[in-house]
Amino acid sequence: MIRHIAILFRAHLRDERRAGEVTLVIVPFGMVALLVVPMAIGIDTPLLDRIGPGLFWVVLLLFGTLVSQRQSASLSESRRDTLTLLGVDPAARFAAAAMAGTVLLTLFAVVAGTVTFMLYDPEIANPAWLGAILPLTCAGLAMVGTIATAVTSGPGARSSLAPLLVVPVSVPLLLAAAQATEGLRASAGILRWLLLLCVVDVILALAGVLTARPLEES
Amino acid sequence: MIKPLDVAAGLMLATALVLGLVVPPDAVQGDLQRMMYVHVPSAWLAYLSFATTLVAGIAYLRTRRMRWDHIAGASGEVGVVFTGLALVTGSIWGKPVWGVWWTWDARLVLTAVMFFVYLGYLALRRSFDDPEVRARRASVYGIVAVAQIPLVHFSVVWWRGLHQPATVLRPGDPQIDGPLLAALLAAVFAFTVVFAALVSRRAEVNRLEDLIAAPSAGEPVAGSGVAVPPIVGGGR
Repeated sequence: MIRHIAILFRAHLRDERRAGEVTLVIVPFGMVALLVVPMAIGIDTPLLDRIGPGLFWVVLLLFGTLVSQRQSASLSESRRDTLTLLGVDPAARFAAAAMAGTVLLTLFAVVAGTVTFMLYDPEIANPAWLGAILPLTCAGLAMVGTIATAVTSGPGARSSLAPLLVVPVSVPLLLAAAQATEGLRASAGILRWLLLLCVVDVILALAGVLTARPLEES
Repeated sequence: MIKPLDVAAGLMLATALVLGLVVPPDAVQGDLQRMMYVHVPSAWLAYLSFATTLVAGIAYLRTRRMRWDHIAGASGEVGVVFTGLALVTGSIWGKPVWGVWWTWDARLVLTAVMFFVYLGYLALRRSFDDPEVRARRASVYGIVAVAQIPLVHFSVVWWRGLHQPATVLRPGDPQIDGPLLAALLAAVFAFTVVFAALVSRRAEVNRLEDLIAAPSAGEPVAGSGVAVPPIVGGGR
């Protein structure tokens, strides 16, 4: 099972490297979003400093759905059938897709975070904590996105539906990540929010693994 | 055909309406408080609908009987209506009492999130023609979404808390006068029976829609060479 996950994980990343959808399309699009917000609300530097981190998390949430919905994440019918015939557990497919999504989302988050620091200049004490907050948030978003992709894939399905499925369910992730960052700004405790991120991730992982087989039957 | 459940729902709703109008007004809020006889039961039904969708989804995945999916879909639709009603009535009540149509209170945010989760659930159901594919995927999403609701609840409670705490379901004596409590409980009970009647009706409509959409006997399903066999003693 672990070998299957590793092989599929590498295949997902290889597909993405060939397609370049995240790095060449979604990342620049996210950067543009971060760039145009000050044009809409005005060049009020203290205000931008205040809203910068929150804006970053909103961009990550919204553009994270695009990362989850990337072309390279969806398996063709024939490829899926081949994997089924080869005896690959659907849970392994879910795990590999979620892990690849986490890596790509973290990459997006690192670039977007760097741009946020440059454009908005937020003051964050102990930025090292972001090393825990970012991967936990990205993992949760990737798992929600992977489940939504599986649920909305196939003939007749509307792929535009996925963001509507992902965003409301991702509210705990958004709140926990944003409040943890706010805690870092205010030098307050963030363990409660980190705990929430961990609990959400565990529940999503369980839900993804347990529902992988019924979705496979589709 | 009118079912006994429909009659019971109508009678109880009429009783709750009369009770809601004849009980004395609230000492502080006056007649505005009567909005609670619609708002509170609607919010209760929003949670009940979610729970029903979850249970029916799990039951479908375990048994693969379409009846459960029809109930889950019906409950989702009724849930959207009552969640929307809870939001609208709460907003109408909030304007004169809080001074705003909307505020970033934990319970308001949670209800709004539930509304959109429901909308997503219904949109997902409408995007598949095959009833079994629809049932499987909607069940999975229903389970994942409902599993998140307690987390949404805690996250928004930790985030903000402005909405008044529980008035009836609280340790010790309820902080509400007897006649007002009776009217509220009658409304909750009536709405629950209305919910059961609506879900029952809608589930039946879902079953009939699937029956109409299913290929009929003699209809080709895999080229002209393979047709649906006639069903002995049944079919449409």
